[in-house]
Amino acid sequence: MKLEELQNDFQRALFDTECKSADWISKSAHGLSARDRLDIYYNAYRFRLIDVLLDTFEHTAIYLGDDWFKQLATEYVQTHPSTYKNIGLYGKDFPAFLAEQLADDMEVTELALMDWKLRRAFDGLDSTVMTQDDLQQLAGEGASIYLQAVPTLTMCTQHFNTLDIWNAINQDQTPPAVERLPQPIDMLIWRKGYSPHFRSLSPIESAAIGCIVSGAMLEDIGAKLENDFTDADVATEFGLMLHRWLEDGIICH
Amino acid sequence: MTSGFGLGLRTQHYNDFLAEPQPVDWLEVISDNYMVEGGKPLAMLDKIRAQYPMVMHGVSMSIGSINGVDKDYLRKLKVLEQRVEPMWVSDHLCWSGVHGRNLHDLLPLPYTREALDIVTRNVEQAQEVLQRPLVLENVSSYVEYEQSEMTEWEFLSEVCKATGCRLLLDINNIYVSAFNHDFSPVSFIKGVPVESVTQFHLAGHLNKGDHLIDTHDHPVCDDVWDLYRQALLHFGYIPTMIERDDNIPSLPELIAELDVAREIAREIAREIADDVLNKKIAL
Repeated sequence: MKLEELQNDFQRALFDTECKSADWISKSAHGLSARDRLDIYYNAYRFRLIDVLLDTFEHTAIYLGDDWFKQLATEYVQTHPSTYKNIGLYGKDFPAFLAEQLADDMEVTELALMDWKLRRAFDGLDSTVMTQDDLQQLAGEGASIYLQAVPTLTMCTQHFNTLDIWNAINQDQTPPAVERLPQPIDMLIWRKGYSPHFRSLSPIESAAIGCIVSGAMLEDIGAKLENDFTDADVATEFGLMLHRWLEDGIICH
Repeated sequence: MTSGFGLGLRTQHYNDFLAEPQPVDWLEVISDNYMVEGGKPLAMLDKIRAQYPMVMHGVSMSIGSINGVDKDYLRKLKVLEQRVEPMWVSDHLCWSGVHGRNLHDLLPLPYTREALDIVTRNVEQAQEVLQRPLVLENVSSYVEYEQSEMTEWEFLSEVCKATGCRLLLDINNIYVSAFNHDFSPVSFIKGVPVESVTQFHLAGHLNKGDHLIDTHDHPVCDDVWDLYRQALLHFGYIPTMIERDDNIPSLPELIAELDVAREIAREIAREIADDVLNKKIAL
C-alpha cells in the first residue's frame, strides 16, 4: 500500500460517520484492537473541533445550552471537514449552518455572527489610529480627505434583541426573551487597543460608515448624507460622528 | 546553541512574564498561535520576546503529507521566524491531512522507504524557505502500520542523515508510544543520533490502563522522569522544557516542576563527572 493510498484511507476513516477498523493498522497482540486504536484519532478529531467551536462561539453555546450546542457542533463537524491550517478559523461557516438548522430561531445565528466577528477582530490586522490632531493637520493641508476604517472594522445587521441577549450572557445574567425589533439595527464591531469592541449604529451613522468603507472622500460622504437624510441636521450630526469615530479609534492612517 | 531550561509560553502566564523576571532560561512559543495578522497575541509576543530567548514550535506543517508542505504556511512561518529570531524552529514528524483537508492532529507515518523519500523532500523544501535546519519532534502514537519497514528511531535517524535536520525528543511521547506499541523506550533513546538532538520535551499523559493518551494536562510522571534520567545519561545535557497545554497550572507550579528537571540534570551531571573521574583514577 502506497503512502498516498494510506493517507487517503486514514483521512476518509476519520471523516466517516462511524469509526471502523482498517487493515493497514498493525495487529499488535498488545493492548487495544485496531478499531479501538483508530477510534482514539476519530474521537480526538471531533473533540478538538467541537472544543474550538465552544471557545469561538462562547455566548451562543451558553444561550443554547451545552447539550444542544454540542449536538449542533457535532453535526457541523461531521458535515464540514476542516480546510484551515489555523484551527481558529474552523467556525467560519458555523453561523450560516445555524441559520439552516435553526431557521425559526434566527437570533441564534445573529448571536453566533457576533461571537465570530468579535473573535476575528481580536487578532485582525494592526493599524495606526488617526487622532484629532492628525485630522486637523490633514484639513490644514487643504487636500481632499479620505477616511480609512481600521482593518478590523466590520458591521452586521440584527433583526432581534440579540445585543441584549449577548450583553445578559456576558454578565452571567438570564438572557431576555427573544423579540423581533421594530426596525433592524446595524452593529459596528472593531478592535480598540487589544480588545474587540461593538456598539449599535443609528441609520445615518451606518450609512456614513458604509461610505467610509467604500472609500468615499469626506466631502462626498457629507453630500450623500444630505441627500439621503433630508430631515437630519447632517452638518451637526456628521461633526459629532467624526469626533466619536476618532475617540473610538475606528479611523486609521 | 542555548542552554538551560524552558517553558512553553501560554496566554495564562503573559502577565507573570511581563510583571517580573521569571526563573526560566528561554520560552517555547507555538508558532501557529502567532501566525495571525495582529492584535494582542503578536503584541504580547514582542514584549515577552524582548526579555526572553525563544524557540518556535509548530503543529501544522504536516511534514509527512504526500502533498508536500503548504507554501503559504511556510511563507507565514518564515515571516514569524524573522520577527521572533528564535534559536530554532521545530515541528512534528507526522502528517495532518491531505488534499486541502486538515485533521488538526499529529498523525504517525508508516516507517517505509517511500515515506522517507517524501519526508526528505518536504524537509528540504521547508529548510530551503526557513534557511535553517528544521527540528523534528517524535509524536506519540496509537497506531502502527502493517507497511512499516523500520522502527521509528531508525526512520528519524534516516531523516536526519538525509536532510541534516535535527531532533526534538519528547521523552513523554517516547514513553507513551513505547507503552502503546510494546517497544523499549531505551532502545528508542539509544537508536537516534546523539549529535542531532537539540531539545527535550517533558510532559504528562493519561493512563487508560491498556493504553496511554498524550494529553499534556498532567504533571510529568515518575516513569517519564526516570526515562529523562536515562536520556541525559545517553545524550548528556540537552535543553529541556516542560510542555503543558491543558489544565494549565500557575506559573510558580510549573517552575517548581521545571526545578525537578534542573535537579535531575544536576544529579546526572555529577554522576557523569564522577564516572569520568573514577575512570581517570583507574587509569
